[in-house]
Formats: sequence, C-alpha cells, structure tokens
Amino acid sequence: MGKSSKDKRDLYYRKAKEQGYRARSAFKLLQLNDQFHFLDDTNLKRVVDLCAAPGSWSQVLSKKLFNDTTLEQQNERKIVAVDLQPMSPIDHVVTLQADITHPKTLKRILEIFGNEKADFVCSDGAPDVTGLHDLDEYVQQQLIMSALQLTTCILKEGGTFVAKIFRGRDIDMLYSQLGYLFENVVCAKPKSSRGTSLEAFIVCLGYKPPSNWKPRLDVDFSVEEFFSTCNLNKLQISDKLQDWHEEERKIAPFMSCGDLQSFDSDATYRLDDFKGDSILSLDPVQSPTNPPYKKALELKRSGKLTRAI
Amino acid sequence: MAETCMKELSHYGPSLCVKFYKNYVVSGYGPFIQIYDYHDNGKLIHKSKMFRKNKIHGLSVSSEGKLLVFGSRSVSVVDLDDDLINNDENVDAIRFEKLNSEWIINGEFSANGKFIYLLTSYNKVLICDLIGNVVSEKVLPGERSILYSGSIKVLSNDKVLINAGTVMGGVLIWDLSTESKIHNLLGHEGSIFHVTVSDNGELVASCSDDRSIRIWDIKLGKELCIGWGHTARIWNLKFFSNGTKLVSVSEDSTCRIWDLRSNNNETFELRLSQVHEAHLIKNVWGVDIQEEENLAVTSGNDGRIKLIDIKDYGDPSNEISFSMDDISEKSVIKFNKEEIIKGFHQFKFGLIAITSLGKIIKFDFETEVWQLISVYDKFVSYSSTNAIVKHNIIIFSNNKCDLLLLKFSSDGHDITVKQELHLDELSKTNNCLVEEFNEESLLVCLESPNPRDKFICLQINNETLTIVEKYSFTKPENFVSSCLEVFQHYILVGSRFATIAIFDKRNVDKSAYIIKRLNHGDTTTNIAYVECNEHQSHLFSVTNRDGYYNFISINFPSDCNGSITYKVIHSNKIMKGFLEGAFFNDKGEYITYGFKSSLFYIYNETHCYEIASQVCGGAHRQWKLFPCDSDEEEETQFTLIYIKASRLHLKRINKLSVPETLESGLHGREIRDVTILKEKSYNDEYIFCTGSEDTTLKLGQFNTVTGKVTNHWTERKHVSGLQRCKFISEKLMISSSAREELLLWEINDEFQSGPYITIRQTLPTSSDNPDLRIMDFDTIFLTNGLDFIVSTVYSDSGVKIWYYDHAKNIFKLLIEGRYSTVCILNTSLEIFRNQVWLFIATTDGQLITYNITDYIPFAVSKEEKSRLVAQSVMNEEIIGLPLPIGTMVVHQSGIKTMNIFQDDNNLKIYTGGDDNAIGIIVFKYDQTKGTIEGNITSFEKNAGSSTITSCVVFNHGKNLLSTSVDQIVRIWTVEDDILRLSEQKYTTCADTGAADIVTDKNDSNKLLIGGVGLSIWES
Repeated sequence: MGKSSKDKRDLYYRKAKEQGYRARSAFKLLQLNDQFHFLDDTNLKRVVDLCAAPGSWSQVLSKKLFNDTTLEQQNERKIVAVDLQPMSPIDHVVTLQADITHPKTLKRILEIFGNEKADFVCSDGAPDVTGLHDLDEYVQQQLIMSALQLTTCILKEGGTFVAKIFRGRDIDMLYSQLGYLFENVVCAKPKSSRGTSLEAFIVCLGYKPPSNWKPRLDVDFSVEEFFSTCNLNKLQISDKLQDWHEEERKIAPFMSCGDLQSFDSDATYRLDDFKGDSILSLDPVQSPTNPPYKKALELKRSGKLTRAI
Repeated sequence: MAETCMKELSHYGPSLCVKFYKNYVVSGYGPFIQIYDYHDNGKLIHKSKMFRKNKIHGLSVSSEGKLLVFGSRSVSVVDLDDDLINNDENVDAIRFEKLNSEWIINGEFSANGKFIYLLTSYNKVLICDLIGNVVSEKVLPGERSILYSGSIKVLSNDKVLINAGTVMGGVLIWDLSTESKIHNLLGHEGSIFHVTVSDNGELVASCSDDRSIRIWDIKLGKELCIGWGHTARIWNLKFFSNGTKLVSVSEDSTCRIWDLRSNNNETFELRLSQVHEAHLIKNVWGVDIQEEENLAVTSGNDGRIKLIDIKDYGDPSNEISFSMDDISEKSVIKFNKEEIIKGFHQFKFGLIAITSLGKIIKFDFETEVWQLISVYDKFVSYSSTNAIVKHNIIIFSNNKCDLLLLKFSSDGHDITVKQELHLDELSKTNNCLVEEFNEESLLVCLESPNPRDKFICLQINNETLTIVEKYSFTKPENFVSSCLEVFQHYILVGSRFATIAIFDKRNVDKSAYIIKRLNHGDTTTNIAYVECNEHQSHLFSVTNRDGYYNFISINFPSDCNGSITYKVIHSNKIMKGFLEGAFFNDKGEYITYGFKSSLFYIYNETHCYEIASQVCGGAHRQWKLFPCDSDEEEETQFTLIYIKASRLHLKRINKLSVPETLESGLHGREIRDVTILKEKSYNDEYIFCTGSEDTTLKLGQFNTVTGKVTNHWTERKHVSGLQRCKFISEKLMISSSAREELLLWEINDEFQSGPYITIRQTLPTSSDNPDLRIMDFDTIFLTNGLDFIVSTVYSDSGVKIWYYDHAKNIFKLLIEGRYSTVCILNTSLEIFRNQVWLFIATTDGQLITYNITDYIPFAVSKEEKSRLVAQSVMNEEIIGLPLPIGTMVVHQSGIKTMNIFQDDNNLKIYTGGDDNAIGIIVFKYDQTKGTIEGNITSFEKNAGSSTITSCVVFNHGKNLLSTSVDQIVRIWTVEDDILRLSEQKYTTCADTGAADIVTDKNDSNKLLIGGVGLSIWES
C-alpha cells in the first residue's frame, strides 16, 4: 500500500502524523477520555504509563495534564512512562527503561512520586502474536495481570486502571477477576480501534483492594502467585492438580467511545471527504523499529534464504 | 436452559503436536487425540476428546506406554493402549482432565515413568504423580519472568534439565534437582520460540524471533554454530540421528532438515540439507521423526498431518546421470567434441536418445549398458523425439519434413520395424506431435512455420508403421501447435494464445472448430480427456504454461454436419510457476506438474501439497516426465529425465510407502465465510464453499452422517481481504473482497469426477486501481431464475444496485449512491408487501432502510411474490440512491451480521453486533403511509461475551443460531419476537467468524462453523 493510499484507508494514521503523535493509538486514549473524562479531573496528579513505547499515550497524557493548566496544577503533576524498550523524550514525562514486574521499578516510580500513590495507571501494551489464539490471549492477559500487579502496589484507592485487551475466548474470566478489585469494569471500544480487530480496552474505575491484602512484588513470584494471596476466585495454589471446573465468568458492559463526528477506522475515505484539509502525503512520525529478524531480512534480500539448497 | 443437543460430527483445524508411537502417529488435533495407523493406509484408528475446551499443545509417551497430554492449563495422563487404542470409540477420556493454575508449556515423564514434570509459563516445574498429586515444586530463583517456550530433558532419574526460552533472547538451562542455573545462553535476539536438548545431553538447539537456529555446547555454554534458512519464525526443533541431524518447522510453511557437521570437534556447521513445503500458507507447529523408516510427520494450522520421506530427498541412488564422456566410456561409441543429446524417450526396457549428429543410442535399464543403434545424417543438428511407449515405437522428425519411425521388440534388443517417410506437402517442419489414435494406429501431426501450409496429420499403423491415412487440414489463423489429444473422430490441438483447434478427420475440408483465448496465458501445454456425463458432454482438462488450467465440457455433434458446442466449467490458476500438464490420479485427485524457476515440481492440486520437486535448471531445458504404470507394484511413481549442464539425468521419483497425508486439512488461515449449496445434494452429500483470510475459496462436499469433508478445488482469483461468499441459486455463487472484487461463480455438478466451478462474470470496478472493499451483497432473482438484481455495499459508504443479464452475461449499474462516510458492513434486498426494500447496516451500529421499488426497471411478480419481472424499458441512465425512509441505531458499534426472515405479516431483521448484542427489529407495513416501520422488539445485550460474528435463522424462523468470538455457539428460540437462549456449546474453532445451516432430507440440521478451522455439527 502506498503512503497516500494508507492515508485514505486509515484516517487516524493520517491524523496522528498531522498532530505529531508517534502512533495512531493516541486517538484511542483520547476517545476513551472523551467518554470517561479520567484525564479531565482537576485533582489528577500522578499518572503511570506502562508498556509505553513508542510513547503516543504518554504524549496524550503530557498534553492533557500540562496544556492549558495552571502552574499550580503543573507543579503537582507527574507522569512516569515505563517500557523495556528505550523511548525518545516527551515533555513533562519521566521515562524509565525498566521491567514492570521488578520491585526496583516500583521503588523508582514511588521515588519520583515522593512516595505518594498514583491516581491513574494505563497500559497499551501487546505482546507479539504467534497465531495460536489461545496462547496469544493468555500472554496478553498475563501482560495485563503484570501491569495490574504493579498497579495494585501503586494505585490509590478509588483510582483508575486502563489497559488494552483482546476480546477472545476467556475475556469474561478477566472481567470477572477485575471485578474483585474495582468498583466498575467496562469494556470500551474507541472508534479509532478497528472493528475488524478484537482489540478493546478495559476501563477499571474505583480501585478497591481487599482490606486485609498487602500486595508485594517479589522477583521469585509469578503473577499467579502474586495474586494468590488476594482471592480473585480462580487464582489459588494447591498441592493437587485440580479437577476440571468452569471458571467464574462475567460479561463487562460494552461501551463504544468517540462521538458521531469521529472518523470510522474501518472506512475508506474519499479525497473530497477531507473538506479543504491538506491532502499532502506526510511522512510517518515514528521511524521503523529495529526488529529482531533484521539480519534474516538482510539475508533474504540478498537472496541467501531460498528454497533451493 | 435445555440440555444441549448440538452434536459434533467432525472437525478440521489446527493440529499443534504429533508423535510416532509403534505403528501409529499420535496427534493432538484441537482438543482431540487422533491416532492413525500410517501403515494401514493412514486409517484413523482412534479419536478421543481429552479436554473440554483447551487444545492439546504437546504430548509425551512413557516407556510404559502412558500418554501425557497438555495444553493451556489442562493436563491429562492416560494409558495409550488400554484407555485409548484398544478401547472402543466412546471412551470418556475427558474424565482424566486436570487443571493447573498456570499455562503448561511442556510436560515429560520421569525416567522411571512414575512421575510427570510440568513446566509452567513462569519457569516453575511441578513434579506430580500420575493421578495429579503435586509431589514437589521447583523454581530457578530470580528467574520467574514469562516464557514463550521451554522443554524438559530427562537424562536419568536424577538428572533432569529444564530449558527455558525467555522473551528477551536468553535461553536458561537449569538443573531441576538442585534448582540451579547451568547457563543463560545469550546470542539470539527476540523471544525464544523453542529450545531442545539432544538425547545425550550434550547439545542444545534453540530458535527465536530472529529466525536463526543456534546450536550450543551444554558443557561450555558456548554457541557452536548458527543455521539461517527459514524466512519466518521457527516453532519447533528436534534432534535425531544421534544428534547429527536436526529437523525444524516454521511459520514459512516448511519443514527443514539440517546436518550438524563438525571439523574435529573444533568448528561446527549447521547445513541445510532438505526443504519440504509441507503446509499451507503459514504455521507448521508439530514435528516428529521415525528414524528406522526415514519419515517425518508434521502438523500445522491448516489441519493437515503430513508424512514426509526424508531419505529419498536428494538421495543419490535415485538419480543417475551421464556426460557424453560417461556414455562413451560405458560403450564403444565415439562422440565428437561438440556433440550433445538432442532428444530422448523412455521405454520399459530403457532409454532411446538421439544426438546432434544423428546418432541414435540406447541405454538398457537391465544391463545398464549404452549402445549405438544407428546413425541418420538427416537428423543432424535439429530433431524432435516422440514415442508411443505402449507399442515401443519411437518417432524422430527433423525440420526438413523427414520422419524416422522405429519399433522395438519388447525387450528393446531388436528393431522389428523401421520406416522412413518424407512429406512433400510441406516446405519445412517445425513441430511434430504424436498421440495414440486407436487400438491399431497412432497419429503424427506435423506443422510448418508457413501459415498457408496445411496442418498434416498421419494415421500410422502400429505394426507396420505405414501410413493408413493422411489428413490435410487448413490451419486456423494465429495457430502454433503445442499439444495434442485424440478423441473419437476428433483431433484436438492446443496452440499458443490459450487456444484449441478441433479438427474432424471425417471432414478434412471443414475448417477447425476454434476455442479461443481460454485464459490470459499463452501456450496450451496439455489437453486430456476426463470423462463423459449422461448428457453426452465430454470433459477435457486443459493446462496452460502460464499457470492456468480449465476444464471444458464439449458436446460433439451426432453427425458431421452438426456443430461442436463447448462450455468452460472450471477455471483456476496454480499458486506459482509454470504449468506443463495435469492429470487425475487413481484416487481422483488432480495432479499438476511444471516448473518454479529452476525447480521441477509435481503437486497435488486437490489437497494442495507438493508431491516432489527437483532442481533441474528450468523449463527451457530438455526434459520429459514419465509416469510409471499404476497397476504395477512399482516403487517408482515417475521418472524425470532432463539435461542439465550437458549431462543427461534420470531421476526416479518414488511413491511414498505410506500415505502422503493423514489429514489433508483445509485453509491455512481463518475461515471468513462459509456457504452451503442447499437446494440439492451431490452424491448424497452437500457441496459447500469456504472463503478464507488466505484469500482462497475452497469448494468441497461434506457427508451428512459422518461430517467427513472431501476437498475439490482451491480457487485463487481473489487477491486480498476476502469478505463474503454465498450461493445465490443452485448454480451460482458470489464472492466479494477488497480491491473492489465481486465474482459471480457458476457451479457444475453434472460430472462424477467432482463438482466444478468457474467465474462467469466479474463486477466492474469504479477505478483502475480500486482500493475499496466490497463488504457484502444480496440478490433478488427475476422470474426466469437466471437474471437478478444485486446490491453491493462498500467500505467508503457506497451503495450500488446492479442488474445481471444472464443471456448477455453483463452487469448493468442501475443505482449508485453513498450513505455517509462510514463503512457499510451488511446489506439485504427484500420483497415485502409487493415493494422492494434495501437494508444496509454500518460500522456505527445503524440500520438504514430504502424503498427502491420505483427506482428499478422491475416490478414484483404477481405469480411469484419473491421474484421480479421486467417492467419498464431499461435506459442507460444510472439513478442516484434515493433518501432512506428510515434510520435507526441498533448497536453501539458495528453490525457484524444481519439475517432476514419474513412471515405472513412481518419482516424481521436479526442483527449481531461488535457490542456483544443480538437485536430483533420487526418491520410492519403501515397501510395508511404506504411504508414500513421498524421496531426493536428484542435486544439481548450480553448475547455473547465478545463480538457476535454470525446469525442464521432456521426452523422456519423459530430458531436463530449465533456464533461469537468467545467461541460459544448459541441456539436461540424466537417466540413473539423475543429471543430466548435455548442451548449453547463451545467450539474449538478460534476466531469463530462464520456459520451456515442446511436441513437435510431427514429433517436434521447440519451446522457448518468456521473460524480457525471448520466444525460440522448436527442439531
């Protein structure tokens, strides 16, 4: 697909380039906020962006928390973005290249926050997909649970957690587990997220940990073991492999986000739909990443990976 | 909710693991264990469902014959022989299923077989007894990050290695008993997808997202060598042959064999030795090796289980080759320095060849001796070689109109008849084609380059080699002969420009009947008679070098004054490369052969797998393929003879001693739509078609009792983003996709060799470089049952109504317009209360109604209320889309599926949404306003826990079937326009996206459910 053809097919890709966002996913957070207004709260102070690279959500957070706000507000506000990958700097955002499951990471964030808890934690992370739907869904849910385990250590009571999900076979199990930790769990689909994709976002409002539970990150604990002390129904360890039983499942209410004027991410637009907007093709903001299979690509290009022996 | 009465008949989908055990192949096939006796024609001897929902990701067999299966969080241990193989079909193996709290990525038995080790995705090992009691838990302190892969190597009761593939490129090898790290092997980039240890515990092999395979020395923790070759991710590795060989399978659809070579144990090399294109489009997941029989078995996302001969490949004993010097040495023949072989043909007794200096030489297969037969000066420099193997006749021709015919004794020792002929009619000959004519004679066709010259056919007696009859036909225009078939009185000659000329030998003065431009290719490479049906239509298979093949049904006139008529009933193109010919094998499978760059291939087109391939330099070489008699118990299936680098090569292509596949599989990727030809059955089965993310359409049939699917054709016309396929009548189907493609297909079920399908017409696109997707379409037929109107909806919110004129075979645009800017996902055309209604549904959850009655040149038929008749004269003008008469928001986001049912008074639309909901909208006719109004009578918010992907009304509107991405198939009852869930059942087809239902003659409903795989159910 040519550059301009992708512009027509994907209006959000085009808009992201125009507005200087590193990825089109920025609009997903903006549209979630249009619905839930969690970033419009004047009392919002400390915010964590997990699995943040390349940083488009952090860019949104930076704009929302620091543009058109009072100096007083700005002095109190802190944004921390964490990812295993390096990230180029963003105004008002402290970026950490770190592992979200490691206790040290938690310690560093708390230091930046002056040992105060966060008001809002989000994660737009997704693992590489293998094509094995069950494994891909499991790994994605584990990534959410890893983000959640850090969140439980850092989020204030009543705080908000937002994360990317894929609505597959066991998504209702995840909804059910999140229901034990939050007042309200909604499955939200921004209009900028393609209808053909299983992607959606869980918006978890009103953090309410069990009163007697002390979450503690430990490098020797798996995510599963971390939550085993906080009865999330399924998460229990025993000395016997359990007989098969159906897990508790619950369907979270579905909510479409983005107003009627929002662009449709599944539509192909015509050039005259842009109504006077520039129709110049723009270069992508984010330069291509450095994939692990770079060498294999080079070998393929030079004809060294072929069928013939 | 009532007990579920949906019953699974069959399932075809991903198989993630396979293993050889005794005479069997044990496979994890979705949640089932399927066991095949691969020596007994691949018979499925056992099938048991092991897990309720989870797929089997891996399996292990203990020395005592216990089977451990695991997948996701499920695990089960059974006795392979007692619980499965020797048990009847209805064993309740599911009762053994146990659950762990974390994902199990690998499992093995302990050395004494009394325990199992389970490695979880968080790098923990559970040691359990065989009934699931956890004896102990082992971890590697500080290393509890999530793993994509890992394996357990049991070396002895005390020595067990845990090999954990991390997501950050490290391979952690740790000792189970001491819970201590042996090595963290660093070198890979990206997630590790597989790691394995050789049987002697000395070597580690690993692969990662970087697409390399690395071999490590376990003692030194050192990388020994790297193997590059796979073009996508590698999923599985296994050492064999005492750690000197490795097999790998990959996302690039290949299985590869590697040789690990060492130079005095100092330097190592991992050399790629075999590449097998084993599966369709994408992932190969499972692999095992049977060393004694030199077999590999692989399993993939396409649901195929493939057996591969790993001995034959490149086996030097299957190929002999000779240079001119070699031939000289093995005989007393002297060749000139520049002398080369110009032609050859194989007989049962041996090979006859001719050189550039006219020497005719023979290679005897029994004595393996070369011998000079004769020298003919006339055949110096240019000659062509043909033969009738059955009668041991060889025919040489040159460009000066000379022919030499030789008939050999059956042992090849003697020339029994010799005949030299010269044709005076032609000034020059540049092509000679030979074919059996009848029991007594053969046919030789000669062509000159002069278009005014006649096309000469000689009927020659097989015994005397004398001319029985000479036919001189006038050559058609633009005729360049390339292949020949004889049928009754007719001589069918393939030509360039994808053309066939049919000459009638009873009437040489009559000009040839021409079948022109069969496809976009050039040279016709093969014409072969297939069968005759009850209407005396004769079916021929025709191939074109540019990759096209067609089946043509020809009706020959009963007397020589009548005219030939024909119909192309099948059209397709091979995946890639050049096509030289094709035939049906004894199982009725269509076999194609030709070249892919420098590779010669033989391919099973019915089931889409390669039978053999050989590097031979490409199509421009001298080559010939000789099939061996199928009735003989011969090991050799074909001989490929070719000349490469001045050497004559004879390559034997052997029959696999075991079946090529144990399951042939379906699509390599998700099924996006499925449609059943419901109007009639075919040989007591139903024809159906699936359209997949892999862009192909597959036509097959299924058995209503067993659910067994028989594949027929894989149509490759769509290039991307397949959206829908639907039978619109008993003869026609439509499919639509991205790039504004909408194809009208015609089905032919009149032949026994299988149903055939061809493109009848293609919908015109709006620009030369179309970038729109046609999301859906719907039709209403005219009373003649052939013409129809069709609505098409587009990703840019476009809506069009077309008229299809069957007699003229054209689509004419009637109405064109655009709803807004949102993508339209569904459309329906309905006749209700004598008016024609158009419904469209969008990505933002709206259902829009148009009344198009007055905008089309048709009226509702008075006799057949669901059909149209032509009313006004059709003019050329295209009418704009009228304003909608109604718009309602039904869903919060995309309406993914829409199904319509009409009863006496109402029109009901069932919608399924991305918002997990199903709605019923009932439209009533308002007499006073003369229009319809819709009301949402039922809206089930949580009809699924994820996107609803299809809704199908059945049982005369009493029931609704829904599929959803949550992999639950639900049957709803509809009473008083309210939905009530009546039953639900889990499907193992992930990304469940399509369904169709047919009610068979016993009033039983058969459900086809498509996603990643296809399931056939009964209700």
